[in-house]
Amino acid sequence: MGLKHYYNKLKSIIGLALSLSKANFKTRNEGSYFGILWYLLYPLSLFLIILFIKNSGLLTSKIPYYPIYLFIGLIANNFFIKTIASSIDVINSNSNLIKSIKTHYESLVLSRVFESVYSHFFEFLLLIVLLIYYQIPLGLLIFYPAVFGIFLLLTTGISFIFATIGVYINDLKNIWMILSQIIFFITPIFYKITFNSIQHKINLFNPLYYFLDITRNLLINQELNVIILLIFSFLGMIIFSFGLFTFIRFKHKFAGAI
Amino acid sequence: MTPEKKEIIHVKNLSKTFKNIRKRESLLFKIFSLINSERKKELHVLKNVSFKVYSGEVIGLIGLNGSGKSTLLRILAGIYPFSNGMVKINGQVSYLAGFGQGLNPKLTMKENIFLIGSIMGLSQRDIKKIFNEIVNFSELKEFINMPIYKFSSGMKARLNFSISIYCLDYHKPDILLLDEVFGSGGDISFQLKAEKKMSEFIKEGVTVLLVSHDLEIVKNYCNRVIILNKGEIVKIGEPKEIINEYKKSKTRNN
Repeated sequence: MGLKHYYNKLKSIIGLALSLSKANFKTRNEGSYFGILWYLLYPLSLFLIILFIKNSGLLTSKIPYYPIYLFIGLIANNFFIKTIASSIDVINSNSNLIKSIKTHYESLVLSRVFESVYSHFFEFLLLIVLLIYYQIPLGLLIFYPAVFGIFLLLTTGISFIFATIGVYINDLKNIWMILSQIIFFITPIFYKITFNSIQHKINLFNPLYYFLDITRNLLINQELNVIILLIFSFLGMIIFSFGLFTFIRFKHKFAGAI
Repeated sequence: MTPEKKEIIHVKNLSKTFKNIRKRESLLFKIFSLINSERKKELHVLKNVSFKVYSGEVIGLIGLNGSGKSTLLRILAGIYPFSNGMVKINGQVSYLAGFGQGLNPKLTMKENIFLIGSIMGLSQRDIKKIFNEIVNFSELKEFINMPIYKFSSGMKARLNFSISIYCLDYHKPDILLLDEVFGSGGDISFQLKAEKKMSEFIKEGVTVLLVSHDLEIVKNYCNRVIILNKGEIVKIGEPKEIINEYKKSKTRNN
């Protein structure tokens, strides 16, 4: 089996994932009054609530361009949490398909990831509007797709792991709901942490933190920290490879387990 | 002297056991079961199944519900792993189980053709090539932009059959595993048309393993027939003889 075989396989996996995600995206918005606006309403409502709390003086730390700082945190968290949550039951909810046709199961997980990418795109557009409103230069925005690409790789890896475990453990969705609350409060989404503090040390094990740090530095401070970017890329590739390996290792058992 | 036929499928002492066949349990229950060292329930679906299939043969698999026919096809298709034994397959396999799944009710007929085509392994470009054939065969051209939830069950069956058969045809598999696919579910005229299309497909020389409860279909299309009972092969042989024996055993059991 040469390179061409792997190329064709990859093309077919991504092709199917795109078809499934487009179909799901379309059917989810069909008949909805707000349609794609629903994707923005959740982070937007949280954004307004936290901004209100901040303006009331309850959050005291001084953070330059706080609305942008906060919005980046919210949309990144939203992407991370939602993608993984939707991957947990992807195998079980497609049991009919899995038992009736030999297909690429990887596409099922990727379709959920792509759906989240579509909604993140709309959130990203809103972020650009905020950047323009606060007159922040947009030049370094060209690096965002690359940084987000690494984050996407990392999230996909975790999604593969959760999709695998989700086949065997029914409670994983509930566990993830609790974990996502913990992640929301541990990660500096609406507050700032100081270097070498206990929160900072905890966040060194939090992949979401790296993405936030790089993105905020890139878009707000107009800096690109190459070392952190390299650590993040390495982490992204390791987690993606481990996730994919785990999924491939167990996927032949899925049809019998569901 | 006739040339020796090529061995396409070789199944030897194949067994399949489903472990832990209870409904999906919570994490706490699973931990409790581990501590309790409760013995996992097992279901032996196939027991020491052995047979060979040669190129161009059409093999019928018959047996009562739960006899292991569909599991056997799924193992050959690579959907289920097997527990013990050996399976050797020479060629590209396509598996088709019924025509009742996959349509997304909220999508239009056109979108569904592209979606199911992708699930069946075709690229968007490939689907475009056979799109008109699918639409013409289904005789539903005027409904192409209508969402599927507005279709009658007969219309859905027509569409499902048309997509599946043309996607399969496009793949040109060496081995075709058909699980209860005869009887498309449309009206009588479409059923006849579908059966004709299916028989054309089978007669093209592809090796077929066919599961059906319709013994007439098995008698008409198959070269050999296998009776499965409770996961074991009872007999393999000529269709007429095997079907008669199967009917007699069913009458005896009733």
